[in-house]
Amino acid sequence: MIAFTDIVGMDMAKQALMLLAVDPSLGGVVIPASVGSGKSTLARSFADILPEGTPFVELPLNVTEDRLIGGVDLEATLVKGARVVQHGVLSKAHEGVLYVDSLSLLDSSAVSHVMDAMSRGAVLVEREGLSEVHPANFMLIGTYDPSDGDVRMGLLDRIGMIVPFATQNDYRARRQIVSTVIGKKDAEDTADELKMLNGLIEAAKELLPRVSMTSEQMQGLIQSAISLGVEGNRVDIFAIKAALASAALAQRNDVDEDDLKLAVKLVLVPRATRMPQREEEVQEEMPPEEEMPPEEPETEDEEAPADTPDADAEEEQEETPDMIEELMMDAVETELPDSIMNISLASKKKSKSGSRGEALNNRRGRFVRAQDGEMRSGKVALIPTLISAAPWQASRKAEREKKFGKINTALVINKEDVKIKKFRDKSGTLFIFMVDASGSMALNRMRQAKGAVSHLLQNAYVHRDQVALISFRGKEAQLLLPPSQSVDRAKRELDVLPTGGGTPLASALFLGLETAKQARTKGISQIMFVLITDGRGNIGLQSSIDKDAPKASKEELEKEIEALSATVFSEGVASIVIDTQMNYLSRGEAPKLAEKLGGRYFYLPNAKAEQIAEAALS
Amino acid sequence: MTQTASAAKKSAATKAKAGSVARKSSGPKKARTRKKQAQAFPFTAIVGQEEMKLSLILNIIDPRIGGVLVMGHRGTGKSTTVRALAEVLPMIERVRDDIYNRTPSQFIEGEKAGKNGKALAPEDIVIEDIPVPVVDLPLGATEDRVCGTIDIEQALTSGVKAFEPGLLAQANRGFLYIDEVNLLDDHLVDVLLDVAASGRNVVEREGISIRHPARFVLVGSGNPEEGELRPQLLDRFGLHARIITITDVAKRVEIVKRRREFDENPEAFLKKWTREQKKLQKQILAAKYLLPEITMSDDVLTDIAKLCMQLGIDGHRGELTITRTAHAFAAFRGEKEVTMDHVREIAGLALRHRLRKDPLETLDAGEKIERELAKVLGEAEEV
Repeated sequence: MIAFTDIVGMDMAKQALMLLAVDPSLGGVVIPASVGSGKSTLARSFADILPEGTPFVELPLNVTEDRLIGGVDLEATLVKGARVVQHGVLSKAHEGVLYVDSLSLLDSSAVSHVMDAMSRGAVLVEREGLSEVHPANFMLIGTYDPSDGDVRMGLLDRIGMIVPFATQNDYRARRQIVSTVIGKKDAEDTADELKMLNGLIEAAKELLPRVSMTSEQMQGLIQSAISLGVEGNRVDIFAIKAALASAALAQRNDVDEDDLKLAVKLVLVPRATRMPQREEEVQEEMPPEEEMPPEEPETEDEEAPADTPDADAEEEQEETPDMIEELMMDAVETELPDSIMNISLASKKKSKSGSRGEALNNRRGRFVRAQDGEMRSGKVALIPTLISAAPWQASRKAEREKKFGKINTALVINKEDVKIKKFRDKSGTLFIFMVDASGSMALNRMRQAKGAVSHLLQNAYVHRDQVALISFRGKEAQLLLPPSQSVDRAKRELDVLPTGGGTPLASALFLGLETAKQARTKGISQIMFVLITDGRGNIGLQSSIDKDAPKASKEELEKEIEALSATVFSEGVASIVIDTQMNYLSRGEAPKLAEKLGGRYFYLPNAKAEQIAEAALS
Repeated sequence: MTQTASAAKKSAATKAKAGSVARKSSGPKKARTRKKQAQAFPFTAIVGQEEMKLSLILNIIDPRIGGVLVMGHRGTGKSTTVRALAEVLPMIERVRDDIYNRTPSQFIEGEKAGKNGKALAPEDIVIEDIPVPVVDLPLGATEDRVCGTIDIEQALTSGVKAFEPGLLAQANRGFLYIDEVNLLDDHLVDVLLDVAASGRNVVEREGISIRHPARFVLVGSGNPEEGELRPQLLDRFGLHARIITITDVAKRVEIVKRRREFDENPEAFLKKWTREQKKLQKQILAAKYLLPEITMSDDVLTDIAKLCMQLGIDGHRGELTITRTAHAFAAFRGEKEVTMDHVREIAGLALRHRLRKDPLETLDAGEKIERELAKVLGEAEEV
């Protein structure tokens, strides 16, 4: 176990954890980093700088709902003959730390429960005849590898600080890491350093209530949040808290520039949904104003006055010293573009959201019937269990009393009585849209695809259908939208999609297959590819992996498509090809593609959204 | 739906099977003790989000409006606002310790069959005042806790089948709140739809057979990015309030300041806002009294019908909701006659989610609706 102070590098992450130790109401820290960067070691070492005895609970990814929330401990209940309540992981973390490794892989219902607990500071247990409130006020430390997929935004919103993604590139740091890991460091030094750090944090905690910040500083932070398009008010509060904690840690009574910058980096920038306006743009959009000093064009609030014609607000904003705004922009710019590119919630990175291949219908959905089963293999169907035990009570009790003397259970339930609930889970079709974004007609196709996606989602929600969206252009295909039911997100992704370039059809099929495979492990059995393309793939699979790969020949391209199509077919994925070829020069690539995929073909150059949706559903 | 509802009511009244409850639970049960959570932020201290606040208030004034769906950006105080609601709600009468929060007449009707047909006299019943219940339905709730089920403890310890009421019983005559309503499990959504339509919870499972009144104002909140709401459920909500992030610095500073003040010393903060809270409570109560006296001219009614027709809204739920909401709104304003001005203010809330969506629309859906609404309202007024 490596101590907090012995960890080399990851300074921002350490900084964030220290702020959290000073003010636990910051909610938590999310640390995105690539595999093997020591993020989990760091997260676990957080316990070192917390008061002794603080709970530190690790949340395993495969946690079940009842372990998470808590409920009736059936076995104990049956043995004791009185209800025994089992607390869940969330309430065990109360007043301590909940640590989730690979946060982005946590399944969506677990995420919802964590979110709910964080916003209430408690877990409401409304299960299995229990109705209780268990306090659950915890700090959440989450680590994840961004290439595993994204963390749900609702959850991130409740966690104060998000550390910018960084890779360890300094060889000196690397050397030091290795020497630390192999234990070259003196244990006494470590103990001393930890003691010092703990003292520092204790002092900061004491000071914290007396640290103050000016209204201008507060406004500056909020203005930055607005400029970055950060959603909601929770984040404002987190930013202010982070700045205060930072000042306290430095044993200052007042917040200074560095504190503000740190708050911007750890709280605001990672949640940016848009880049602050570049200088020139701002100048263009700004109405000429006398008071505007020309050397300070960074007053990035070109939007706020438009939204708020009320005079007070404008006055307030003029009072905000430009100095502070400049400072914010500074902090933002030093973090951009790296952090925005790597972990920004608005970024459209390739997501390979993983899954644990859980058999869903033992746990979720509608309770259909009870079956014989092991107590641990699912949820116990209590009443059928009792019914099956009922007829034997008299004889069993007599038998037990003979064996053990007086017994105090009202019921004698044997293993063979136990019935397990069987659930039926509705799972619909996953429509994976693959939209050709190459060439000149791209824009029009986008409209069609967008319409079709919305239609499918709006009309077919009842069947629990989902859509995913893949676009292909240039060198490789991109998963714009992992399987989702959100029309909003699909629309937004399509809105900002760039077009033009080559047609990496093979890459699209490949990505489609990957997405399909993952969906299967999540219990979606029916999958349909909807290809909106003219079928003229001209970029090989190799080029999408390696930029310098030699250009594939026509035969190679065809072979690739053929092989991939055959896989699609053999995997039982249905497909339809919507040919968007406009002119009469079509060489029939799209019909051929449909044939290879064993799918249906539609020639719909001017198709309306509904037609595409209908074609997919028919 | 209305047909089924009234039919269900009749049949339930005549052949209520409350008799099959083997034993009436004696006295208040521990599951029913009011769960005290952390103190709620005062409703009146919430900055902005007027649509949501108004929608909630109008639903208190007239619960028949059919609830509110609050959708929008995260971290904007959706759940804070709903949880703050309890403190401005008026008191209601119920039979003391009744597990279903029934009114005396509902109680008598429900218990009739249980006492071998022997009618209960009103003087046998003790009445108490309780605050309108606000029940939180967490996502992890299991069906047995929502609908009620057999009391496990009693079954295990004494082998007796007793009914333990669920959240639907607790929510009778009050509010049922579901945060992240779009993430709710399908089977729970089905249950809710059933009960919301009939106003009655029927439990027929695992050897129990119970029915009890469950009329509540459904309040749901969520972020559309996390997933869409099923159309059937969407249609269940009377009003649809939208929430967006405030982009006014001064307002946001005020939000932060109030929040910090509250967190530092909740008691002092609540005290500071007592007067405002009381004022709002009184205003709501006055509106409730005024409501039966509100009138609406045939002209206004005609205009409402025209408005719904021109917007191409299916069914009559749109008109009904506008009418009820406009009545409540007029009452809240202390005005006795509903005018088109009132209608204009609340039409967006009542119709937004009932409009057919154009999937090719690139404009913000809300914006477009407002524009059309303004146009149609203008025309309707001129006619």
